[in-house]
Amino acid sequence: MRFRIKRKYLPVLLILPLIFYLVGISFYPALSGIFQSFHSPSTGKLTLENFTALGHYGIISAIINTFILTAGALAIEFTLGFIIATLLTKTLRGKAIFSTIYIIPFGIATVVSAYTFSLIFPAVGGYANSFLALFGIHAINWYANTYMTLFTTMLADSWKTVPIIALILFAGMSQIPPEIYSAAAVDGAGPIRRFFSITLPNIADFVTIALIVRGIAEFNIFALPLILFGYNPPLLTTLTYEFYSTSATLYYSLSSATILFAFVLGFALIVVFRKKLVGAYELTD
Amino acid sequence: MEIKTINKIKKIVLYAVAILVAILFIYPLYILLLVSFSPTTVTLDKLLPSQLPVKLTLNNFISALTQYNFVGPLFKSLEVAFMVGAITLAIAIPAAYGLSKLNRRTGNLIMVFLFIANLVPALIIAIPISVEFIKAGMFDSPLALALAQSLFTLPLATFILLGSFRTIPKDLENQARVDGMGLFRTIYTMLVPMAKAGVAAAFLLSWLTSWDEFTFAVILSPLKPTLPVIVYINITEGSLIQAAAFAAVVSIPVIILTIVLQKYIRGIYLTGGITG
Repeated sequence: MRFRIKRKYLPVLLILPLIFYLVGISFYPALSGIFQSFHSPSTGKLTLENFTALGHYGIISAIINTFILTAGALAIEFTLGFIIATLLTKTLRGKAIFSTIYIIPFGIATVVSAYTFSLIFPAVGGYANSFLALFGIHAINWYANTYMTLFTTMLADSWKTVPIIALILFAGMSQIPPEIYSAAAVDGAGPIRRFFSITLPNIADFVTIALIVRGIAEFNIFALPLILFGYNPPLLTTLTYEFYSTSATLYYSLSSATILFAFVLGFALIVVFRKKLVGAYELTD
Repeated sequence: MEIKTINKIKKIVLYAVAILVAILFIYPLYILLLVSFSPTTVTLDKLLPSQLPVKLTLNNFISALTQYNFVGPLFKSLEVAFMVGAITLAIAIPAAYGLSKLNRRTGNLIMVFLFIANLVPALIIAIPISVEFIKAGMFDSPLALALAQSLFTLPLATFILLGSFRTIPKDLENQARVDGMGLFRTIYTMLVPMAKAGVAAAFLLSWLTSWDEFTFAVILSPLKPTLPVIVYINITEGSLIQAAAFAAVVSIPVIILTIVLQKYIRGIYLTGGITG
């Protein structure tokens, strides 16, 4: 009897160290950081002053920029990801070589890709402009304004992130039985129609996974903007780090990180429950 | 005949797109190699540098490796990466075994919970633990950084190991129990060798994640930096050509590992194991 109970609980005992580890080093510090961000550094009392003070340091534009960057980067990544995933579903000679090439950027360190793109898109001149000059196109200022800066960052970011999206979407697409497509083609549905009425609905779960994985990573984008353009225009991550590296404002960095965390959490919940949300919207409509 | 020509055109377009995408993916790496193997007179000093190699040199590497602090960060990176691999396996192997003993639904549910840990932004973890590590005198220590980076690698490694353990027939394990093998002997002398491909992949992917990682590294270990942090420091100090050489060196093991681990990276899609 005793032996059986032991056998039954054994799996749980073996998993516990992992759970304790994650709770101890991830959830506990995160919660304590959030807790501290609501407390005054001088008096230790519960307060919102760490958050209200952020208004003077451009927190609003940091939030807006983070949103623009996330949305734009996801749009670019998904477009390219779908193109590559579609390529991988076709019969191609040398497909193994192509798919190997398409996966290589995935492993490259973010710092390395950021540095490389700072050579391609520097403040003046650079490799992208020298390429455009071959066609007689006038040099572009990649950081002319906030939107241009964010767009340049999206382009640079997509190089390293498209492979994973393409892999996720490809995994979904290869599960769709080809007969559905041939039937639709016989019915006269064009490739665009087939994409929206067959491909997308059939890979909804994979799109969810890709959105969560990449969307959250996009909110947390840090090394790339830091190296490409520094602290201005601000993003939630670079602003947090700026506060952190000037140690007098540690509490501001915590409150700014808390805002980041809130948005990440909100984003994940919306993506996961989007079907229910859409359903509720349709009901009230 | 007409359908044949249309198919042929389709084929040509397909290959053209495939090749164009391949070129776009290789181009940044090509630029990195070009800059690191060319004298600055034809690369960084030019407003519009040539797309093709004009002159080649090894001087950038020689100067970066001899005059700059390369050996310290290299050893720090190696030390931390191997620690992350070891910590990850030490915790993930028993956990994955435990999960494989639960029923599939419960096991998968716990897996999802583990991946949620990956969704917490590194910054909100790193800043509070850096304060704790400073108090504990562990700031800049390799172990502290390895403990933090293992957060990223544990869920993914557990997931890969769980997949490998599930493929091993239960009968073998029952046989081992009948033969009187204890639990840990069963895991380490029988199951781990049988799942060695999965164990190796879990170790190498953890190693790779640590080797590339920046956010925890720059916050928890700024004074004794790892290679990604030293690349960043060189950029901020304006030593761009040394940064190029370092970046190229950092990328060599990465490219090899990515190609070797392709199969497992393809499996990552089921997980959230991606870092910012």
